Amino acid sequence: MENISFEKALQRLEEIVDLLESGSLDLQASIEIFEEGIALSVRCQQELQKAEGRVQQLVKKLEGGWELADI
Amino acid sequence: MREYLTVSQLNKHIDHLLQTDVILSDLWLKGEVSGFKHHRQSGHYYFTLKDQESVISCVMFRSQARRASITPQDGMEVLAWGSVAVYAPQGKYQLYVQELQPFGIGAWQLYLEKIREKCQAAGYFDIERKKAIPGFVNRVGIITSQDGAALQDMLKVIRQRHRRCQVFLVHSAVQGAEAPYELAEAIRLLNEHGESEVIIIGRGGGSWEDLMPFNTEIVVEAIYKSQIPIITAIGHEADYSLADLAADLRAATPTQAAVLAVPDINQLEATLARQQERITAAITRKITRHMETLDRIMMKKVWKDPLQLIKLHSDRLQQAQLSLNQAMGMVIEQKSTRLAFLTARLDGVSPLKTMQRGYALVMSGTAVVTRGEQVKPGDELRISMLDADLKVRVMGKEAVSRWKI
Repeated sequence: MENISFEKALQRLEEIVDLLESGSLDLQASIEIFEEGIALSVRCQQELQKAEGRVQQLVKKLEGGWELADI
Repeated sequence: MREYLTVSQLNKHIDHLLQTDVILSDLWLKGEVSGFKHHRQSGHYYFTLKDQESVISCVMFRSQARRASITPQDGMEVLAWGSVAVYAPQGKYQLYVQELQPFGIGAWQLYLEKIREKCQAAGYFDIERKKAIPGFVNRVGIITSQDGAALQDMLKVIRQRHRRCQVFLVHSAVQGAEAPYELAEAIRLLNEHGESEVIIIGRGGGSWEDLMPFNTEIVVEAIYKSQIPIITAIGHEADYSLADLAADLRAATPTQAAVLAVPDINQLEATLARQQERITAAITRKITRHMETLDRIMMKKVWKDPLQLIKLHSDRLQQAQLSLNQAMGMVIEQKSTRLAFLTARLDGVSPLKTMQRGYALVMSGTAVVTRGEQVKPGDELRISMLDADLKVRVMGKEAVSRWKI
């Protein structure tokens, strides 16, 4: 589950909500899928918190490569 | 000896005069291209510009040629910017061209159409090659002028929607002769850096000439070759550039590009919270329903008084035992009645009764003696009476005749 993208996670979460709300699963399957849903939503939230919020300028160096400067 | 100049000195002098002339050192020249040659090894352009009466040789060196707005073609009406100088080895003067543009809007449009066809043929606009813009982005690359209003517009929108989004800015000229080269280089740099999940190339609106860098093959090719999806935001709504056609997504303005590139975090967070609530409610409903069912089952009497279940069985057992006893009693009674009857009959035929009346049984050995002829005097006999057996010897024998009743 760690490797799937945020969007995939969000999409799966939506599926789980629909499935659970349909009430078509037995109790055991419902609880398993519920746990998966909670894990996904926590992961998505962490993903939202992860970014840094910086603005940096990327500059090409004459001798090759690049450097980042905060602005 | 007269004073004289060498040929070199003469050419040098003329060259000096040309280069210090106000007009010749910085001019825009209009003319029709002919004899165009692109020297493969050096990369320089050689051609002449002519009008009805006149021609002039032109050179455009590689460094300028590759940054030129256009690649000239024979017959094209152009404006060439540069200066006139002497080419001493051939003793002629020529125009050293710095920048080249089609002359007039009509010429530009013709020129653009040619590039568009070329890019189209190269597959740069192919729909199936377009990359999807990721729906959730934490790192955005921006290529624009660091001094432009477009940059401020984009940063403002990005911060509003996703305050923790990381931005990698690559400054580039967005108009002028250097712009195509810098824009293409910036795209390559962001790809080499590799951190950006999406790239916005943007500039505010301008005259159609200002937007020309975005109609160059070098920029279109760089956009096409980018591994990272690119959103273009060039000029105003109505202006479509070739860069827009090559981009994975085209935004009308830089502000719109920022909206398309970056998710609205508040909305996403709200969606997540809502979905968490929904699955929690759904599972709670499910468990409640099962608990209710369980409760209903547990309410049944059998669980409250489990002995009831045993009592039911022991009652049946007792009943069966009772019936069994009764049946057995009847059988015994029947049998004992029969027994009494038989005993009575047996009693009737018993010799004992006869013996009570005084009769006795005469035995010789094991045989019962019933007739006189069975014995002779002197025989030892046994007489069985009711309460004793007598051993006797026959003293004498006399025949007797008795009446039968």
